[in-house]
Amino acid sequence: MGAIEAPDLSYAALAPLLFVFGAACVGVLVEAFTPRSVRHPVQVTIALVGTIGAFVATLLLAGTEEVTAAGALAVDGPALFLQGTIAILGALSVLLFSERALDPARSAFVAAAAVPAGSVRDRELATSERVQTEVYPLATFAIGGMMLFTAANDLLLMFVALEVLSLPLYLLSGLARRRRLLSQEAAVKYFLLGAFASAFFLYGLALVYGATGSVRLSDVRVAVVTEGGSALMVIGLGLLVVGLMFKASVAPFHSWTPDVYQGAPTAVTAFMAAATKVAAFGAVLRLLYVAFGTADWTWRPLVYALAIASMVVGAVLGLTQTDVKRMLAYSSIAHAGFLLTGVIGLGPDGTGYGLAATMFYLVTYGLTTLGAFGLLTLVRDGDGEATHLSQWAGLAQRSPLVAALMSFFLLALAGIPLTSGFTGKFAVFRAAIEAGAWPLVVTALVASAIAAFFYLRVVVLMYFSDPAPDGPTVGVPGLPTTIVLAVTAAATLVLGVLPGAVLELAESAAVFVG
Amino acid sequence: MTITNYLVLAAILFTIGAVGVLVRRNAIVVFMCIELMLNSVNLTLITFARSTGTVEGQVIALFVMVVAAAEVVIGLAIIMSIYRTRRSASVDDVNLLKY
Amino acid sequence: MTDVPWLVLMIVVPAVGAAVVAALPAAREALARQLALAVSLLVLLLAVLTTVAFDPGGERFQLTTSVAWIPDFGVDFALGVDGIALSMLLLIGVLVPVVVGASWRDTPLPRPGRPARSMTAFWAWLLLLESLMVGVFAATDVFLFYVFFEAMLVPMYFLIGSFGGENRQYAAVKFFLYSLLGGLVMLASVIGLYVVSNSQLGEGTFAFDALRQLEIDPNVQKLLFAGFFLAFAIKAPLVPFHTWLPDSGAEAPIGGAVLLVGVLDKVGTFGFLRYCLPLFPDASRDLAPWVLVLAVAGIIYAALLAVGQSDMKRLVSYTSIAHFGFIALGIFAFTTEAATGAVLYMVNHGIATGLLFIVVGMVIARGGSRQIRDYGGLAAKAPLLAGVFLLAGLASLALPGTNSFVSEFLVLIGAFPTRPVFTIIATVGIVLAALYVLLMYQRVMHGPPRGVLLVDEDGAGDHDPADHGAGDHGAGGGATAVPERGAGGATAVLEAPARARVLAVRDLSGREIAVVTPLVALILVLGVYPQPLIDLVSPAVEATMSDIGVDPGGSTPAAPGSTGTGGTD
Repeated sequence: MGAIEAPDLSYAALAPLLFVFGAACVGVLVEAFTPRSVRHPVQVTIALVGTIGAFVATLLLAGTEEVTAAGALAVDGPALFLQGTIAILGALSVLLFSERALDPARSAFVAAAAVPAGSVRDRELATSERVQTEVYPLATFAIGGMMLFTAANDLLLMFVALEVLSLPLYLLSGLARRRRLLSQEAAVKYFLLGAFASAFFLYGLALVYGATGSVRLSDVRVAVVTEGGSALMVIGLGLLVVGLMFKASVAPFHSWTPDVYQGAPTAVTAFMAAATKVAAFGAVLRLLYVAFGTADWTWRPLVYALAIASMVVGAVLGLTQTDVKRMLAYSSIAHAGFLLTGVIGLGPDGTGYGLAATMFYLVTYGLTTLGAFGLLTLVRDGDGEATHLSQWAGLAQRSPLVAALMSFFLLALAGIPLTSGFTGKFAVFRAAIEAGAWPLVVTALVASAIAAFFYLRVVVLMYFSDPAPDGPTVGVPGLPTTIVLAVTAAATLVLGVLPGAVLELAESAAVFVG
Repeated sequence: MTITNYLVLAAILFTIGAVGVLVRRNAIVVFMCIELMLNSVNLTLITFARSTGTVEGQVIALFVMVVAAAEVVIGLAIIMSIYRTRRSASVDDVNLLKY
Repeated sequence: MTDVPWLVLMIVVPAVGAAVVAALPAAREALARQLALAVSLLVLLLAVLTTVAFDPGGERFQLTTSVAWIPDFGVDFALGVDGIALSMLLLIGVLVPVVVGASWRDTPLPRPGRPARSMTAFWAWLLLLESLMVGVFAATDVFLFYVFFEAMLVPMYFLIGSFGGENRQYAAVKFFLYSLLGGLVMLASVIGLYVVSNSQLGEGTFAFDALRQLEIDPNVQKLLFAGFFLAFAIKAPLVPFHTWLPDSGAEAPIGGAVLLVGVLDKVGTFGFLRYCLPLFPDASRDLAPWVLVLAVAGIIYAALLAVGQSDMKRLVSYTSIAHFGFIALGIFAFTTEAATGAVLYMVNHGIATGLLFIVVGMVIARGGSRQIRDYGGLAAKAPLLAGVFLLAGLASLALPGTNSFVSEFLVLIGAFPTRPVFTIIATVGIVLAALYVLLMYQRVMHGPPRGVLLVDEDGAGDHDPADHGAGDHGAGGGATAVPERGAGGATAVLEAPARARVLAVRDLSGREIAVVTPLVALILVLGVYPQPLIDLVSPAVEATMSDIGVDPGGSTPAAPGSTGTGGTD
C-alpha cells in the first residue's frame, strides 16, 4: 500500500468557487458569533463580497482552460462564462434579499422560521424588525453550488453540486414573512419533488457508471465512442436528463415551478428563476456535450420533444394564469423550451453555434427575469405583494415608471426587437436552423406569439384599464432594489441594442475542455 | 449468482419507491419512499463496483449516504415546520397553491 | 451635401424629439405638441433636403451609411434609399406634421369619474413612430429592417390602446398580435436567408445587395417567400389577413389611423416590392397567380363590405383594404408600368386616404359619433368641410384629375397585357369605389338635416329621441371635442341646454384649413403633373423588375392623360 496522494488542485482556477464558498462559511460563523443587531449589514456585505469577488475572479481567469481536482472540475470557457453570469445574478439577488425599505417590517423574510405560523409568538414577531439572517449564507451556498454545477466534469461532483444548490433553495422558499403557510407549502413541494428528481439523476449516474465503469465525463465520452450506446447507457442518459430538466423546469417536469415560484418570497423566486436556470442549463450543456456529444442521436430526439413540450405547455398554460408570479413561472417554462432549441443547435465536435447562443440566451433571460420579479416586490397592498393580475389594473396611472419598466421587461420576455430577449431568441433560433431543426423553430415562433399574448395582457391592464379604487400601492424601493432594477433594465436594453461584445465573449468562450 | 439479480432487485426497489412517491399522501412516507430510491441506487452502485472491479461505486455510495443525511435534515425541518402549524403531514392538506 | 448622413438624421431627430417630449411633465401639454410640430416640420425639411441630395439617375441605393452593428450575426446598421423608399420618406415627412396639426385639439377618451389624461405621451409615441417608420423604409439590411418592422408595433400599440375609442384595448391587442405573428414567421425566413447566405458566401450576411445575388433552390425559395409574404400580407393587409385593420382603423385616434393606413401598412406592399420579388424571383413568379387571386378578391370583397358599413372610420379602413388589393395587383403583374403605378398608388393612397381620414375625423369632432346615420345635411352648414370631404372622396375613388387616377390607371393598363382576367375583375372595384364614397358623402353632407345637425336647428331639448336612441354614440376615436360625451346616454346629454352651443356645426377653422391645405394641394398637383414622382421611382422599379427577369421595356412610363381619357370611371 502506497501513501494516498492528494489530488492536485489548481487554486487559482478554483478562485471563483473559493470566494463564494468562503463567504458562505464566514457567513455561518457570523451567525454564530456576532450580536443580532449587526448581523444583517455584515451578512449582506459578506455575501456581496463573495459573489462580486467571484465575478471578478471569473473575469481575471478568462481564457483559462484546464481540468483540475483530479479531473473532477473543468475550468473552461463555458464554465467561467456561466459562473460569471451566476455570480452577477447572485449578487443582484442578494441585493434584492437585503431590501429593507419596502416591507413595513423591513424585510421580506421571516423573523424566526422555527416559530409556527399563526401562533401568538409569530404574530408578535411579524411586526418586529428581527430577520432570519441565515438567508444570506444559504443563498451564498446555493450560488456556490450553482457555480460548481456548471464546472462539474464528473457525474458525482455534478450530483453533489446539485444538492448543494438545491438544499438551501428548499429552505429559502419557505422563509417568506407574509403568507407563511403558502411559503412553507412551496418549500415542502419543492423539497419532495426536488429530492424525487435527484433520485432519478442518481439512478442515471449509477447506470452510466455500470455501463462505462467511470463517472468522469471524459471517460464516458470515450466509452460512448468505443462501445456505442448500450441499453444501460441510454437509460442512464435518459434518467440523468430527467434529473437536470427538473431543475431547469422543462415540461413535463415543470409541475413544481408555478407553485414554488408563487409561494416563495419574491426575491427568492427571482433568484431561482434566474440563477438556477443558468446553472441547470450549464450542466445540461456539459453533460450532453462533453459526455454524450458523439452520441447525439440518443439525446437529440429526446431534447427535441422536451423543447416542444416545454414551449407549448409554458405558452398555453400561461394564458390561463391570473397571478403575475405564476404567469412568469409559465413564462420561465416556455423560455426553458427556447433554450433547448439552442441546445439542439449544438453541432458535433465543437462546431455549431448552439453553445454560444444558449449561453448568451441565459445571460439575457436571467437578467430580464430578475428585473421582472424584482419589480413585483414594489407593488404591494396591506398583505404584502399584490400579485393578482386584477390588482395591476391601471398601474400606469399610479406609477408610470414602474409600469414602463414592467412593460419593457415583458416586451423583452416576449422577444420584441431592441430588447435583449430578441437578440437571444435570434441567436438560439439561428443555431437551431443551422442544425436543420426547422420544425422546432416554427413551433418556437408560434409559442412566442402565444406567449406574447399573456405578456401583453399585463401591459394592457397596466396602461389601458382603470385602476381599482382599493388597488395596491407602489412602494418606493430602497437603494438595493433600485440598483437591481437599474442594472437589469440597462442590461436588457444594452444587450438588445448593442449585444456585440457579450455575443463575442460567449462565442469565444464556447469551447469545452473534456 | 450473476449481478443481474442484484440489479433487478435494485430496479424493483427503485420502482416501488417512485410509485410510492406518486401515490402516498403522507409527506413522511413520501420522504421515506425517496430514501428507498436512494438506497436502491446504492445497491446498484455497489453491484457495479463489484462487477467492473472499480472502487468508485463504493465511494459514490458513501457520498450518497452523506447527501441523503443532509437531505433528511433539511426535509424533516421543512416538514416539521408545516406540521407544527397544521397538525398534519398529509400532502393532501397542502393545497393552498392550486392553479 | 451628399456627405451629410440625411437618413441617420431623419431617424435620430424624431427619436430625440420623442425622448424630450416624453421627459416633459404631463402638465406641459402645450409645449409637448409645439415641440412635436417643430420636430415633425424639421423632419419634413430633412426629407426635402434628402430628395435634393438624391440623384434619380444615379446608383440604385444612395445616401448610404453602413456601420457594423452586431458583427457576430453579420448585421450592419446599413441605411440607403432608392426612389421607392425615398418617395415613402417624403410621404412620412408630409403626413406627420399634418397629423400633428389634425390632432392638435384631441383629448384622450374621457372616463367617468376620472381626471382627464394628458396627451403628452401621444406626442412622444407619435414622434417615436415617425423615427421607426423612417428606419423601416431606409434600412438596407434585412435584419435592421426586421428590427424596425417589429419595433414599430410598440408605439402604434400604445397610440391605439391609450388614445383610441371605446374598444381600444381589443383593437390594440388584435393589431399587435396579428402583426407580431406575421413578424415572427418572417423572422424564421430571415434566419433561413441568413443560413443560406452563410452556406453560399461562406459568411452570413443580411445586406440586401448581397442577398439579392444568392442563387436559392426554388423549393427553399418558396418557403422563405412564404414567411416574408405572410408578414407583409398581414401588414398590407391582403384579404384573408385583413380582419385587424377595420378594428384598428376604427378605434385608433385619427392621427394614428392616418399613419396606420397611410404609412405603416405600406410597409407591407413596400416589402413585396423590395424583398419578396428580388430575393425570391422564382417563387414570386410561381406563386404570383395565387397572390393575384388574393389581391383581386380583396378589391371586390373589401369594396362590398365598405358599401355596407355604417361606421365612417371602418368604411375608410375597408376602402384602404380594397386599395391595397390594387397595389398588390400592380406589384405582382410584373410589368414596369404596373409596378410604377403601384408605387405611385402607395404615395397617393397615403395622401388621399389620409385626407379622407382627417376630414372624417373633423366631422366626428363636430358630431361626436362615427355613425353615418347620425349625420345629414352638413354641407349647408359647413360648405368648406363638405368640399374637402368631396375632394378626398373623389381622390379616393380615383377620379381623373386627382392623384389616385394616375396610379390606378397605370396599374390597370400595366397589368392588362399580362393579366387580363384579373385586371378586368379589378375594374369592378372601381365602380364599387364610386358607390361607397358617394353614398357616404351624400348621406353625411346632403339630404335633410339629421342627427347632430338637428339639435342645432331645433334648439335644445326639442327633438325626437328615437333618432338617437339607437345611435352608437361611442365617441369617435377619442378625437371628440365633446369631452363629456363618453359618459351618460347620448340622448340625455343632447338634451342638456349647454349641448346646443357645443354641437353647433362650425365650418373649418383656421387650423383645420392649414391642416388640409397641403394634402389638397398635393392631390391636385400630383393629379395633373405626376411626372417628377414617376421619374423618381422609375429607376428603382426597373431595377426590381430586372431582378425578377422582366425586361424593363426601356422607356419610363409617361403620365397618362390626366383629363379623363381612360374612361375608367
